[in-house]
Amino acid sequence: MFAYSAKRILTLIPTLLAASVLVFLFVHLIPGDPAAVLLGDTATPEEVAQLTKELGLDKSLVVQYALWLGNVVQGDLGHSLFFGDPVLTVIGRGAETSILLASLTMFWIVLIGIPVGVLSASFKGRWVDQLTSGGAMLFASVPTFWLGLYLILIFAVSLGWLPSSGFPSLSDGGLSNLRYLVLPSLTLAAPNAALIVRLVRASMLDVSREDHVRTARAKGLHPARVAVKHVFRNALIAVAAAFGFTFAALISEAVVTETVFSLPGIGQLVVQSILRRDYPVIQGVILVIVVLYSVINLLVDLAYARLDPRVSLK
Amino acid sequence: MKLKNWLKTALAVGAVAAYANGAYAEGTFRYATVGEPPSLDQQVITSDLATTIAHHIFEGLYTFNASNAPVPLLAAGDTVSEDGKTIVISLRQGVKFHNGEDMTSADVLASLERWGEFGSRGGLLFDHVESVEASGDYEITFHLKEPFGPWKNLMAFINGGPAIYPASVVTGATKEPISSENYIGTGPYKFAVWEPNRKIELVRFDDYQSPEGAADGYGGARVAEFDKLDFMPVPDAGTRVAGVRAGDYDYAESIPGDLFDDLAADSNVSTVLNGSPLFGLVFMNSKAGPLESNFALRRAIQTALDKTPAMQVAIGPKGLWRANGSFLPEGNVWYTDAGTEAFSQGNAEAARAMAKEAGYDGEPIKFMVSTNYPFHYDSAIVYTKQLAQAGFNIDLQVYDWATLIEKRAQPDQWDLFFTHHGFVPDPILISVMNDNYPGWWATPEKKALKDRFTASSDPQERQAIWAEIQALIYEQVPTMKTGDIYTYNIASPALKGLGEATLIWPSFWNVSK
Repeated sequence: MFAYSAKRILTLIPTLLAASVLVFLFVHLIPGDPAAVLLGDTATPEEVAQLTKELGLDKSLVVQYALWLGNVVQGDLGHSLFFGDPVLTVIGRGAETSILLASLTMFWIVLIGIPVGVLSASFKGRWVDQLTSGGAMLFASVPTFWLGLYLILIFAVSLGWLPSSGFPSLSDGGLSNLRYLVLPSLTLAAPNAALIVRLVRASMLDVSREDHVRTARAKGLHPARVAVKHVFRNALIAVAAAFGFTFAALISEAVVTETVFSLPGIGQLVVQSILRRDYPVIQGVILVIVVLYSVINLLVDLAYARLDPRVSLK
Repeated sequence: MKLKNWLKTALAVGAVAAYANGAYAEGTFRYATVGEPPSLDQQVITSDLATTIAHHIFEGLYTFNASNAPVPLLAAGDTVSEDGKTIVISLRQGVKFHNGEDMTSADVLASLERWGEFGSRGGLLFDHVESVEASGDYEITFHLKEPFGPWKNLMAFINGGPAIYPASVVTGATKEPISSENYIGTGPYKFAVWEPNRKIELVRFDDYQSPEGAADGYGGARVAEFDKLDFMPVPDAGTRVAGVRAGDYDYAESIPGDLFDDLAADSNVSTVLNGSPLFGLVFMNSKAGPLESNFALRRAIQTALDKTPAMQVAIGPKGLWRANGSFLPEGNVWYTDAGTEAFSQGNAEAARAMAKEAGYDGEPIKFMVSTNYPFHYDSAIVYTKQLAQAGFNIDLQVYDWATLIEKRAQPDQWDLFFTHHGFVPDPILISVMNDNYPGWWATPEKKALKDRFTASSDPQERQAIWAEIQALIYEQVPTMKTGDIYTYNIASPALKGLGEATLIWPSFWNVSK
């Protein structure tokens, strides 16, 4: 497993290099001058040119890329043009919110998605299956911004049970601040849990047609034991991969939910940085997300081997 | 971890969440902003959001009272020589900076010098300044090249204005905004922390030395009633409204016009109108393209536009806009109807004939607009249709704001662009008066009037000259005003001392709950 992991980590290097070139090019091809944005409406062309020079944005793209890559290799992703802080510090601030939001969302997805999926598969074709499948279809189709606003109206405005938006850091109020993430995580969990319900149902139905399941039933095992031990565990292999990528997607793609609930996460950071043309932050965040996806991909592969002894890691 | 342990942990977290006290202290005032300002450095940043936050931290020598007249703030008083060229300003004594140091003329001089050289609006005054000196520990003297009427208005306008910093902070500072650790002012609240995308927090400055006299606009006594002011970015307007209704925020800005009637009737929130309207402007290119110096063609475009339907579409409720052609609103000392008969004719036939006479042959007119400001885009759509009906070939180019800012600096990229302007207390501060502002209007007729306007110190004479300038704007059409927009904010009804409308930016000294 160690050799396999080391090999996979090595293959990460060309992936990151290719990603860095693409990211750098795309970011610098967006029209809009960071110096003009920073200096505002009243800046003269001379002042904009001066700041462009100070920021090193007057150099050729190749030189800028080489300088940036040289620093990245040494662990320095540069400084935010907007905040002036190191990019890693800026990302770190957003990471707390994003990781907590993704974790809480995964909690709901597991809590809701798996049992409902198992239930749906176990009662295939009956009203329970039709109800859960219909519900899953509904929640997979509802836009998150709509669901988020309705949850705010019901649970924050009408009932007053939970805060409507924002997220003070855990260091500024402790675990109780997790209540700020309840509505956003439920909003984000709804479509993802719906997909997991459908995936668990489909995987379980696939596995339940296999020979070893028929044998287990023929041996007279209790249906619940067959469902959990023989069907569910094998169905988990497909679900495990989905969980991995869902977690990565929750960190990088929660932009709409973060906007509706005003959460200071990575998604908001990317959007705001694009509007501000804060090149180092955009590049840094995307690079971190590429690393995150690659690492999760690796962990999913390692989990396969654990879940399915037939899979060998070479 | 076994399932049972997971459940225990989840229950424990839930219990803590249910019974814990709020994350925000009782004495904390929470303001939901539309986003984050680029910086709080008042000398170089002209963002209204920056000023809304920063004018609690930084103060200038003057500010405005409720009538928009300049009154002393850090200044104690002033004398102007008979020839109008020497201004002596005495400073209040005993004023402390947030770092504990006393404010003296050395700090004021260093601040004024940086503002004069690098400040967003500093050049407007310092182009007329021969020298400025600290003529005593608590006295500053300006020697002007010629009399300059708007000096006190410029000093009182804190947005891009002469905020006073400690000399240690501002000496050597340039156009680049100062960093947050140097946000040291003399105001009733001091800067505490900026957590990006989360909040900007100010805390009460216990050693604050308030000006004397009853509160009047931004003038008079200032009392910091709250322990903290938290300015939190809440980009979604629906969330800002829900947040105030739910009691999570005390105040929220920039609420959509179409919610105005509902919110005005809602007893759970108070609506607060911004007393000073902002106004849309469509600039024309005076450096290149078909409109460069063809004033007749510009007037044809102006004649084609009917501003009322655009305001109805872009803003909504009648109480939030006014199709007013005067650059300063009715009731203001600078209000004038000079030239405004051309403001909103909406006469397509006349426009077509005028364009033909002006030599227009149907070449595309590039009209840049940004979707970052919905009312820009909505208005531009209406105008494009009206212009098409008058025979103009409009090439509507839609960009995000950052791209538009970059392109408008390049004269060959555009013919018209849409922007908006905040309220200013003196017309000299309107962007069209700046020869270097994109559009680059700098005709000899403008220069002659502008020179007379700035040289005069007589208020009535200045008002008369401004009327002539406004008439010239309608004649040469460097820009077209689109109408006044009264934005509004909402507040918790529990807040005391807010008033029904803001003067320019909301202020929260003398406010409590």
